[in-house]
Amino acid sequence: MTKIIDLNIQEKVYKSRKSRLSILNDFKLEVNSGEKIAIVGKSGVGKTTLLNILGLLDRNYNGYYTLFGSKTNDLNLSQLAEWRNQKIGFVLQESALINSLTIEENIKLPLLYAKAGENNKLDDFESIINIIEIESILKKKPLECSGGEKSRVVFARAIIMKPQLILCDEPTASLDGDNKERIITLLFKMNQEFNTTIITVTHDLNSKKVIDCINNLNYYYAYGKYSTANIKYSPLT
Amino acid sequence: MIVFSVLLLLFLSNYLVFIAAQSTVSTFQGYNEMKHLNQAGNYIANLDPDSDMNMGKIDKNDTQNVYDYLKNNNIRYALFTDGFIVSLPNAYDMEVSFAYLNEEYYKLNKQFEISQGKDLYFDYCFDNNDIEIPVLIGKGLSKTYPLGSTIKVEDPMLQKQITLKVQGILKPNVYHSNLYSLSSKQYYNFSVVIPVNEAFLNNSSVGLQLQGLFDIILLQTSKNKIEGLHKVIQDKLGLKFNFYTQEENFEYFNKYYFSSLKIITVITVILTLILTCITIWSSLASIRLMIKDFTINLFVGLSYLKLRKIFYDYYGVLFFINLIVLFIITAYSRYGTWIRKDASFSTFGLFGVIGMDWLALLAVLFFDIIIGIIIVEIMLWRIKKVPISLGVLQ
Repeated sequence: MTKIIDLNIQEKVYKSRKSRLSILNDFKLEVNSGEKIAIVGKSGVGKTTLLNILGLLDRNYNGYYTLFGSKTNDLNLSQLAEWRNQKIGFVLQESALINSLTIEENIKLPLLYAKAGENNKLDDFESIINIIEIESILKKKPLECSGGEKSRVVFARAIIMKPQLILCDEPTASLDGDNKERIITLLFKMNQEFNTTIITVTHDLNSKKVIDCINNLNYYYAYGKYSTANIKYSPLT
Repeated sequence: MIVFSVLLLLFLSNYLVFIAAQSTVSTFQGYNEMKHLNQAGNYIANLDPDSDMNMGKIDKNDTQNVYDYLKNNNIRYALFTDGFIVSLPNAYDMEVSFAYLNEEYYKLNKQFEISQGKDLYFDYCFDNNDIEIPVLIGKGLSKTYPLGSTIKVEDPMLQKQITLKVQGILKPNVYHSNLYSLSSKQYYNFSVVIPVNEAFLNNSSVGLQLQGLFDIILLQTSKNKIEGLHKVIQDKLGLKFNFYTQEENFEYFNKYYFSSLKIITVITVILTLILTCITIWSSLASIRLMIKDFTINLFVGLSYLKLRKIFYDYYGVLFFINLIVLFIITAYSRYGTWIRKDASFSTFGLFGVIGMDWLALLAVLFFDIIIGIIIVEIMLWRIKKVPISLGVLQ
């Protein structure tokens, strides 16, 4: 197992004119390739901030972050964008679609920014839409689709580049049982077939469905109200 | 909607810049021409706007008296008049206008440059029975009447059949500016420039002699002689002329023309600034509306570098469309003179577009580059102010 994430945050500070908020103090996270991790915590503890950092969207913190063996602080803005395109997939909430584009255009969006030679990913497009069962809505606009359909589209966009790391931001939060299960099944399938590392954040640890999901994971991290220490590392075996 | 409003605003500002630049170039061309004529010691005649004018009452003897006065008092003068339409077959089927000038005017005004042949000479033999006059012709006539060829025509001023020998071909788009409206000019691509010597003038009709007086330039003369001329003109022709010195002419240009040019420039700058600000505001409004879309694109691999390139490409296309539209409008205006057979304004160039138009288009291009950089950098600054974050999507 190769260690792909080595994150050590001493402090992440949000400043405004009147206040100063310090979160993720002495937060450490190490993840090996192919692991499935859930980050659980109540609202406001810094789950989204953590995903921003893991997804190379935020480098403004005290500490270091090594991803795929490279120090992320050494990467320039174009390299960060390239990594977000090639190596990281974001499974966001269903609203994270561009309403003026069709479903097909939304899914193919990462291909626009792919390096020359990466267009063979188009071959994967057909198989992805077959697996996710969205052939019938490809020409529709997001506003014409249901919440479940949109969630699957967001997922399809996240995996079209076959990323090594998938970051999920409460991907099943607004879905009903069937759709929730379908997305989780797809995530695990990616993990099994391509050894993709999956990190998901959620705040709803008490939810039975989330716990069912977490029971299928290798580990989860709980912090905030779920731990006495600032962060708790708990393998669920 | 926003794209079209930005396109429209940019086009309006481009059009203003184009008109101002074209007018400025044309004015400076006219000013440079005027500088040759308006030299120290010269007086330029101008019919007083309040003067009564009854052409029918003026006969040849009256005007001849004026020219005799000029000769008897050793007053040298530069004479030029044009716009006499003659039917002369040519390859473009244009009306041809005859322009008349004397040697002093030809030497003073440097406009009538030739591309082929020789300069005009004025000491040709004016024999009433067989008149052959060396002339310069415009480029538009050179196909039909090549260098060295002769043209038999009834001269409107001599009112008799004469032979014109093509002595030289004028350069394309030779122009002459209106002395009192420097930016307006006419072109001599379909003109015949006829040298007027003393014999020609004495044998010409009252028309040439009278028209010649309207803009006559009296060279290196005294105030007393001018006053005498003023009196002769009033006595013989019943007309009141003003004779302006170099100083008075410059004063006129500074007072009326350049001040109006300044006003045009200031108005153009203010309107352009307003339009640019509205364009920037409109672009920022579109950024506000599309911030989620930008964020999603940044998530899936768009970099600020690529985004900057996309914006520059986008505005490059908008500016290119504007420049093309401006070119089409200009070409339509220039080429329209060919369709209307408007010989005095027809110009040679790509669809008739000439140097001053290209300079004005270049000014617009320069303006667009500056505005483009300002707009794109402000838009990027605005986008960067919203950090790429999951929070934006939530």
